[in-house]
Amino acid sequence: MNKFAQLGSDIVKLLSKYGGSYISGIENTLILALAGTFIGCLIGFICGMLNTIPCAKTDHPVKRFFVGLIRAIVRVYVEVFRGTPMVLQAVFMYYGLPYFTNNAVKFSGYWIPALVVVSINTGAYMAESVRGGIISIDPGQTEGAKAIGMTHVQTMTNVILPQAFRNIMPQIGNNFIINVKDTSVMFIIGFPDFFAAHRAAVGASYLYFPSATVEMAGYLTMTLIASFLLRWIEKKLDGDSSFELVLDDQLTMTAGTYNHPDKGTPFDERSKEYRDNLTESMKNRNFTARGER
Amino acid sequence: MGELILQVNHLSKSFGSNLVLRDIDFTVEKGDVISIIGASGSGKSTLLRCINLLETPTSGEILYHGKNVVARGVNATEYRSHVGMVFQSFNLFNNMTVLENCMVGQTKVLKRGKEEARQHAMKYLEEVGMAPYINAKPRQISGGQKQRVAIARAMAMDPEVLLFDEPTSALDPEMVGEVLSVMQRLAEEGMTMLVVTHEMAFARDVSTRVVYMNQGVICEDGSPEELFGNPQKQETRDFLSRFRNS
Repeated sequence: MNKFAQLGSDIVKLLSKYGGSYISGIENTLILALAGTFIGCLIGFICGMLNTIPCAKTDHPVKRFFVGLIRAIVRVYVEVFRGTPMVLQAVFMYYGLPYFTNNAVKFSGYWIPALVVVSINTGAYMAESVRGGIISIDPGQTEGAKAIGMTHVQTMTNVILPQAFRNIMPQIGNNFIINVKDTSVMFIIGFPDFFAAHRAAVGASYLYFPSATVEMAGYLTMTLIASFLLRWIEKKLDGDSSFELVLDDQLTMTAGTYNHPDKGTPFDERSKEYRDNLTESMKNRNFTARGER
Repeated sequence: MGELILQVNHLSKSFGSNLVLRDIDFTVEKGDVISIIGASGSGKSTLLRCINLLETPTSGEILYHGKNVVARGVNATEYRSHVGMVFQSFNLFNNMTVLENCMVGQTKVLKRGKEEARQHAMKYLEEVGMAPYINAKPRQISGGQKQRVAIARAMAMDPEVLLFDEPTSALDPEMVGEVLSVMQRLAEEGMTMLVVTHEMAFARDVSTRVVYMNQGVICEDGSPEELFGNPQKQETRDFLSRFRNS
């Protein structure tokens, strides 16, 4: 038991001394994960769109060549960035560019390379998710859009992607949560995220385990809040299951048979008098029913 | 004789080694209401889908006002906006409301203004009796209602020809009537229509021409009186007798 007490006091010690750097670490982690997921999704959607450009054998050879080329490029991009560790991609970019250009091109800060690496990494995963999302949409939707003369881009942006977006929302959430955790590898290029705060704290205090406990709790809190929010967004996206009938429209088919709620004879089902009588009688019935009980 | 809108010349379509359409010759004139009948698998739907370029014909040509739309470099999307299509499975956009379904083509393809598109859409939604449901999503309305919205969506594009691909086949008997009566009204208003159907009563009473297809070829083509009253070919007689007996 006293071990737990010691852990508690160590954590308090850590937080009082390094609390600020933990907080700013959390901030940086969340910003990087959010921005990276967002840009990654954009990349994914663009790749998904490029991947599904229709191309028939009867099309012009030049068009077919370019469609093929685009597909090949997207494929290579996905395979390379999905198939290598993010930590190495960061190193490759951060140290590789200055190496090749004799320091002519180098990153002055850590934000841009970190964001670029996280974004293109997420993009590679999202490209496949988006492709899956697009494939999962009934081909009839595309045909319906084509039949009214929409182009591929119009079909995608107006009809397919909004539906695919809803379907791959769980995937986006997945990627965001993965990014919250995996941005911790960005310490390699000096990015001050939540995990970097841990390294800094233990470097000075040697309280490895208490600091790791803080990290664990911190990451779990972030991801739990994230998955809660994502569920909520999904629910919002699904929208209301009911809809409003527009019966007050003067020009509907029912015009002529049914004009206005307060018009008509007292025998008319929808007249004011009829409704008033009805509510009156309903009230009375309820009253007697309750009385008998 | 009306103005010639569509002319199909020597159209063939094969899927792999499977020859679905063989050397189809076929014309559509303004004001025609043509019913295409025939057994399942006889190529009716494929012919319709070829006319709308949803399938690329293997050979032959489709002339729209004398211009071959199958040729390379023809703007297929522009052509499609003049030829409306109503599908067996409705194909309404699931992410939009009924009204948005009827507006999106007008605003995006025809570049009409929002208000103009809305009024135009409402006009046709009223015509098909779906105006009260403009805020509903496709999943919230019945099959017959969906099909009526699909007709309004196609009509809102002011097409020159309207293609119907078995518009009532996915509906239960109660809903068939509401869709057919909308189609009948359109026919009476002079809309040029091409209807693939199994509704023989509709083919007989509403259309101006009936085409019987069998095994990828047009077997018989004539007025409903001729085709139903006095079919010339044995295949047509066999096909029609199956309907009479049932």
